Amino acid sequence: MAVTTYSGAEQYNFEVVKKFGVMSIVWAMVGMFVGVYIASELAWPFLNFDSPYISFGRFRPVHTTTVIFGFGGSALFATSYYVVQRTCQTRLISDGMASFTFWGWMAVIALADVSYMLGYTQSREYAEMEWPIDILIEIVWVTYLILFVGTIMRRKQPHIYVANWFYVSFILATALLHTFNNLAVPINLFSMKSYSLFSGVQDAMTQWWYGHNAVGFFLTAAFLGMMYYFVPKQAGRPIYSYRLSIVHFWALSFMYMWVGAHHLHWTALPDWTSSLAAAFSILLLMPSWGGMINGIMTLSGAWDKLRTDPIMRFMIVALSFYGMSTFEGPMMSLKEVNALSHYTDWTVGHVHSGALGWVAMISFGSLYHMMPKLWDTKMYSRKLIEWHFWLATIGIVLYIVAMWISGITQGLMWRAFDQFGNLQYSFVESVAAMHPFYAMRAIGGMFFLTGMLTMAFNMFMTIRQGKRESAALEAKLASKLAHA
Amino acid sequence: MSEQKLQSQTVQTTGHAWDGDLQEYNNPLPAWWVYTFYVTVVFAIVYWTIYPSWPFGKGWIGGLSSITYVNSAGETKTHSWNTRALLMENLNKAAAEQKPYFDKVEAMSYAQIAKDPDMNGFILSAGKALFSDNCAPCHQAGGQGKIGFFPNLTDDDWLYGGTYDKINETITGGRHGYMPTFGEVLTPEQIDQLANYVASLSGIGHDAAKAAAGNTLFHSETAACYYCHGADAKGRKEIGSANLTDNIWLWANVPGAATAEGKVAAIRGVITSGLNKGVMPTWGGRLSPEQIKVLTVYVHELGGGQ
Repeated sequence: MAVTTYSGAEQYNFEVVKKFGVMSIVWAMVGMFVGVYIASELAWPFLNFDSPYISFGRFRPVHTTTVIFGFGGSALFATSYYVVQRTCQTRLISDGMASFTFWGWMAVIALADVSYMLGYTQSREYAEMEWPIDILIEIVWVTYLILFVGTIMRRKQPHIYVANWFYVSFILATALLHTFNNLAVPINLFSMKSYSLFSGVQDAMTQWWYGHNAVGFFLTAAFLGMMYYFVPKQAGRPIYSYRLSIVHFWALSFMYMWVGAHHLHWTALPDWTSSLAAAFSILLLMPSWGGMINGIMTLSGAWDKLRTDPIMRFMIVALSFYGMSTFEGPMMSLKEVNALSHYTDWTVGHVHSGALGWVAMISFGSLYHMMPKLWDTKMYSRKLIEWHFWLATIGIVLYIVAMWISGITQGLMWRAFDQFGNLQYSFVESVAAMHPFYAMRAIGGMFFLTGMLTMAFNMFMTIRQGKRESAALEAKLASKLAHA
Repeated sequence: MSEQKLQSQTVQTTGHAWDGDLQEYNNPLPAWWVYTFYVTVVFAIVYWTIYPSWPFGKGWIGGLSSITYVNSAGETKTHSWNTRALLMENLNKAAAEQKPYFDKVEAMSYAQIAKDPDMNGFILSAGKALFSDNCAPCHQAGGQGKIGFFPNLTDDDWLYGGTYDKINETITGGRHGYMPTFGEVLTPEQIDQLANYVASLSGIGHDAAKAAAGNTLFHSETAACYYCHGADAKGRKEIGSANLTDNIWLWANVPGAATAEGKVAAIRGVITSGLNKGVMPTWGGRLSPEQIKVLTVYVHELGGGQ
């Protein structure tokens, strides 16, 4: 048998963690490539090549699904399985269930992407999968819940570490959201098409109750769970405040559920619903920031690590973007600001400051910490991590700045009146004004994608190196045993 | 730094350790965090007081802010703040601002409007907005049209006439261009002869012998092209038939063909298949008579008004 030091291959199920870890990198490359492609389609429309399969409308959900659920989802599966086992000092309760969640989740992403390209969609943002895929998600997710909670119940530690609270809230909330948002009636058993159980404004409300809580629990709470393990581990310091983690956990979980309707300002939704949500969005600001404070303050007293440790830099920049976008969000949820920002690229920029700045950066940092440990080795190249960091950061800044300018320009052009009280610009003039910023955004995306490819190469070399080292070790051991 | 040292001396961890070295300090909540949270609570309460917020019984709490507007029936209404009332209030304001201009549009003749510099400014502004919303999707932003689909409005070639009255008639009632298919009536040779003749009328490269035969056919009872296009082939505006002698093309993509053969083939295509797609919707009823009048002057001024 191989010598297992740090990776503890018998004590813990790291096989599933490795698989999810690798696939999160694969899906990241696919999803970000498609993202860059659709951004380029908007800037240079000939890239549609008149093919329906790769037109913006079908490719856009391929991008969102692959990055959110493929990359983000796999990173969460990987880190949550890693964290729950290590902090509970126990193995996942079932290897079969763990393996099922892996193959099931991979099937979900692949089927979803193919079905979108063939034109099947529920037209629900971030939940475009049609009903057969929704059922598969439901089964995989319930398995995940049972596996995760079951493992916590079998822990050898009296206390449940804070990261696990966040992971559990994410799994539980996602199950709830997925179920209710996707209540639909298929037109028949052998048809992919279904109709939502809700209609009109209730349908829109359900969609955004899901949509915003997907941001809240999938893209925020879950990645905070990741942060709560990997930041103190990487910094080698205790979490700043246990008290703060309790207060902001419960405040965050309570507040998020109320705010979805702020996506529906100035629509047919009753006004009280959206202003109630807007005020709750403001109330959500400090609970959101609790996580940022706890993460950044954990580093206090070891600030020099920002200079010396590129992995730490990923994490701290992620927390900074998290703080920025959770400040921007509540501002955009106010009616008057929303009147300017809604339907513009500002929203797209806001989402990406969260998605690229927070979700992707914290995942990169965590994967750089975790992956070499799984293969009992060190990262192949520190230099490439540095490169990745700068490529990603420059990419994000280009992206967000382009979308701020273009979004605010759009908003101002749409509401501009001339001295005769007529609209000053036609819609198509605002589209023409967007062009340079669409090009800039695509270039920002290319930077980010290039950084991602750097990471993939670095990981590939790391894993190869880890395998070679353990093979050499085994050979050495075998020869020693033979001599004895 | 000294604060940090102080912290590590005075603040204890919770005493738990996970995965070897994972611990938590038990620092108190940062005061600024707590107070900022209180400020957001106050903000939320103020926001709820101003805007409609909480559901209550069968309705909801309306909030202190209210809006007064005139509805479409002309009644003045006051309502607690809501999106619809705000829209009505804005529309009322815009309508009041524009009323003097629209009153003038109604009272003045086309010729008077065209001569009045102040009204010209208004027509350019309001006309552009109306044109962009209603006409540009087909006729394109500048009115240049699209060969094979929508007529060019910037030249002086008019299917139905380019006077103010005719333009107004076209916008108000819409149009439906139609030409029968000749593919089943005439032989391919005959259609080729006609196409060569039509090409010759605009000075496009053609086969002279075929064109001569086409000329005869054009004016014969077999093809009877002259019924609609006229004996001089210059079209008849009362039915919207095209002038075939001016080298301006709407349906046959003659400019798009590189060779003389290609150009003739494009004409042949239209004669063979006919046309039943030149539909322009009616705007009467959708736009007010004053708005149509503004659009009429705007389109007339695009370049080709007669």
